[in-house]
Amino acid sequence: MTTSLLSARSLTKQYGSTFALAGVDLDIVAGESIAIMGASGSGKTTLLHTLAGIVRPDSGAISLSTPTGVVRVDELDERGRSKLRREAFGFVFQQGLLIPELTAVENVAVALMLNGVARPAAEASAAAWLAALGLAGLEGRRIGELSGGQAQRVAIARAQVTGAAIVFADEPTGALDSRTSADVMGALLHTTTGQGRTLVLVTHDETVAAQCSRVVRLADGRVIGQQASPSPSPAAAPVPFQAAAPALFQAPAPQTSAGTQA
Amino acid sequence: MSAAAGVAPASLSIPSGSGRSPALRLTWMLSRPGAQSPATIVLPAVAFAVTTALVLTVLGGALMFWRWTDETAALYQMLSVLALALLLVPLGSLGGAAARLSARRRDDRLATLRLLGATPRTVTAMTVLESAAVALLGALAGVVLYLGLLPLVGLISFGGSPIGVEGVWVGVPVILGVVVGVALLAAASAAIGLRAVNVTPLGVRTKQQAPTVHWMRILIGVGVVLVAYGALSVLTGLQSVALILVVLGLAFAAGVGVLGLIGPWVVALIGRGSVKRAKTTERLLAARSILESPKAAWRQVSGVAMTSFVAVVAGTGVALMDVAASGDIDQESLVLVADIRTGVIITLVASFLMVACSVGVNQASAILDRRDLYVSLDRLGVPRETMERARTRAVMLPLRVVALGSAALGVLLVLPLAGLSMIFAPLSVLVIVGCFAGGIALVWAALRATRPVMGAVLRAPERA
Repeated sequence: MTTSLLSARSLTKQYGSTFALAGVDLDIVAGESIAIMGASGSGKTTLLHTLAGIVRPDSGAISLSTPTGVVRVDELDERGRSKLRREAFGFVFQQGLLIPELTAVENVAVALMLNGVARPAAEASAAAWLAALGLAGLEGRRIGELSGGQAQRVAIARAQVTGAAIVFADEPTGALDSRTSADVMGALLHTTTGQGRTLVLVTHDETVAAQCSRVVRLADGRVIGQQASPSPSPAAAPVPFQAAAPALFQAPAPQTSAGTQA
Repeated sequence: MSAAAGVAPASLSIPSGSGRSPALRLTWMLSRPGAQSPATIVLPAVAFAVTTALVLTVLGGALMFWRWTDETAALYQMLSVLALALLLVPLGSLGGAAARLSARRRDDRLATLRLLGATPRTVTAMTVLESAAVALLGALAGVVLYLGLLPLVGLISFGGSPIGVEGVWVGVPVILGVVVGVALLAAASAAIGLRAVNVTPLGVRTKQQAPTVHWMRILIGVGVVLVAYGALSVLTGLQSVALILVVLGLAFAAGVGVLGLIGPWVVALIGRGSVKRAKTTERLLAARSILESPKAAWRQVSGVAMTSFVAVVAGTGVALMDVAASGDIDQESLVLVADIRTGVIITLVASFLMVACSVGVNQASAILDRRDLYVSLDRLGVPRETMERARTRAVMLPLRVVALGSAALGVLLVLPLAGLSMIFAPLSVLVIVGCFAGGIALVWAALRATRPVMGAVLRAPERA
């Protein structure tokens, strides 16, 4: 039997009189990619936010297996969940939501600096990630000077640079055209499942979902179906991701003097 | 064409215009309660209320001297004009902040309306109408605040006795004038601001490159300082109070001009230096946000820069009076020196209050403007403290450097006039030190006061 990396049991979440989650069970195995699909208001984003510790469920349990043991995500306080998100998870949002006044490389490096990595090491690692994602030479550009697809690849680099075990993506290709969308999905899959990491994404796009190893369908806050994708197709990746850089997947160690910010 | 397509149901037909101004109807529709976040109306309204209350109080105090008829009246009247001139800059920046906030909060909605086909004229009319309406509401609240403050301000002593409520009462015509003036300022600022951003159907946030500030500013600034310095050195021999005031007035005008010229350049320099040195996330964020708009960063702290400059010049003035009065036991002179000191302190307190209010208003609106970003940073696991520290640093760093720089400029300008008397008069030093401590603490307090806005944004991310 395969051990779950992240496991959810009987999750419920209510907003006013509406049940966004009405008893969701889900097991996520290390190295798989899961697409959460459903109509508007079906609870897919709430499920993603709950699994990622952004939102606390009203009831139910979320367990994350870590090298040091099992962590009950639902029992952590705000500070603990914030630390978990910073150190163990990576995020890619629909609009990238990068910091507009920072350059591309600084946007990525910030994720490491928050974990106590010194700025030179953080920027070196960030630049390597940007280069691997086809953005070499654009490190010093501000976000407003990048195209939508380039900005989204910066967001992917930011999600990956810390060596996150799981990357959560909320409609990562929602604001992109089909060609750029394929580029971004290729990059996302190569940097996650392609390296044995885990990807959980919310999408309404069947083409995007078809590239994941499993599709979970929601309606009215319940899982109404799960199916393994017959042939997940991460190979179709036009982005020149240079996976030949294994050192990339070793996040730089935090400075001992700076310490991790709580 | 099919029969079905030819018979469109009445509900699908296109209604014709009702004849009423679309700007008026749209403004009403988008302004009514519940149509937008209450903060978009409350914040500028509060800023306009504070501006109005302070204008009325300061005007009340100044006008009081113009009703005096004794032999000292002329001197007091001159001093009151000087105090009003000193308060013009921070007052203008508070009023401007309120007006800009009022106009800026509408940018996105206006862009959407342009996309739907609203003409630039309709959009401009809406902005001006809404800003003026919010300003009018705020100004009326400000009048109430002013009335509430009257008894408190009346306790201040001038000419040897408390001035009383009637001393600060400006009269109904002045109140009406100020209320209309504040509304007009808001309308003008909104119209000018809108023309600057030029709302296109695709929005207003098309800025791609950080703006640069030209180094020529520093050359011009240095030139003006040298000219003012030379002029003051020539005038050192003059001892009459009226001439001292004229010289102080000239020094002030030169200082204001130079600060406005080189301020943004200095702020940009500070930003660039700290981007290179930044070792932590909050320092990097703060430095980059200063560099994002050095002019805006300067505008935010320029009031305190003025105050620091004024503190040195006014502190020197009081010191000179003190030194002059020490050799003369005449009761009238003692009252005069005490009154001038009171005037200086009131002017400083008022300008600090205005700057603190500007910072509060600017910061609260900045959090709301960047709501999406703060929510996403929170989701990424960025500690709230990091965001707060970055925000605080982005204001306090230029503030500290600019306040010290302005004070240094003040010292440079008054040194030939004041000479050693400033060093030997402890009061002037106390006024200056108190000025820095008070000004910086007030701005910091105004920043702290906006923390609940951040808390609300992070607690209710679904509104993002």
